[in-house]
Amino acid sequence: MEDAEAIKRCQQGEREVFRHLVERYQKRALAHGTAILFSRSDAEDAVQEAFIDAFKAIGTFDTSRTFYQWFYVLLRNRCYKLTAKRRPTESLDEALLKTVQPRMSAETTLGLQKALHSLTCEEREIVCLKYFDGLSYDELATHLQIPRGTVMSRLFNARRRLQRKLSGTLVPEQEV
Amino acid sequence: MKELSCEDVLMAQMDAADGEVTEERFAAHIADCADCQRELKQLQTLDQLLAGHTLSESSVDLWPAIEKGIAKRSTLGWRPFALIGLLLIVHKLLEMLPAQDLGMMFKLVPLVIIALLFVFIKENPFRINTELVLER
Repeated sequence: MEDAEAIKRCQQGEREVFRHLVERYQKRALAHGTAILFSRSDAEDAVQEAFIDAFKAIGTFDTSRTFYQWFYVLLRNRCYKLTAKRRPTESLDEALLKTVQPRMSAETTLGLQKALHSLTCEEREIVCLKYFDGLSYDELATHLQIPRGTVMSRLFNARRRLQRKLSGTLVPEQEV
Repeated sequence: MKELSCEDVLMAQMDAADGEVTEERFAAHIADCADCQRELKQLQTLDQLLAGHTLSESSVDLWPAIEKGIAKRSTLGWRPFALIGLLLIVHKLLEMLPAQDLGMMFKLVPLVIIALLFVFIKENPFRINTELVLER
């Protein structure tokens, strides 16, 4: 079923049809929620609440945007609200990152995960969207509703902070 | 003309590495600045490190919880407000009883109820922000 048809039927009150949208986008939404919150269980909570918000607000769906672009705003709002409520966690036990290069060591992946955890939500979000989703600067600007110049500076600051967190562990990795 | 800082140069170099801008005019600065050379190398290594990772996927199915949540919000959402409305009506009826002067404190009860309601919910529960505005 196409998104447009599913949305139309949801607007007519067919709750079961909303399932198609959830099943289509939940994996992507969970990845984005995890990128912002860096906690899988928090991300699940935020994504659940965002989908419920989306169902409730489906009558106001803006047809000039795709479903996911529209939904992403709801998801970000839920994530940032959750961030404001929760206490910062010191430990990070979950394996949220995985390497796509066989020669990359587990320690390196863990080090990168810890460094990402130390960033602010906004910095982590832009880094994850850039590197793990492969968004261009223009796409990032649209996605995050910020000017392209802000994309550049936010990304640079995030990379610089990451690099400083990782200084010492980065050098051996150059040989990989 | 504004003098370029190392930060400007490094940012432009990383943007160029991302293929977002073509930037060659900083080559002279980089060639003369040992700090920039070192930091640029580290940033490029970080770039490779990030490119070699991805977020691990979750296979959890959220639909059952979402379906429950939708049903719960539909049935419970209005009840606290109906209760508040009922309390206010009862208050008004008591106030209308003849030959009863319940004092100034009694007259302030509705204001207290409304204030407590807003403190309790902290936000308008019926409003879902679908605009491109990030809430904090």
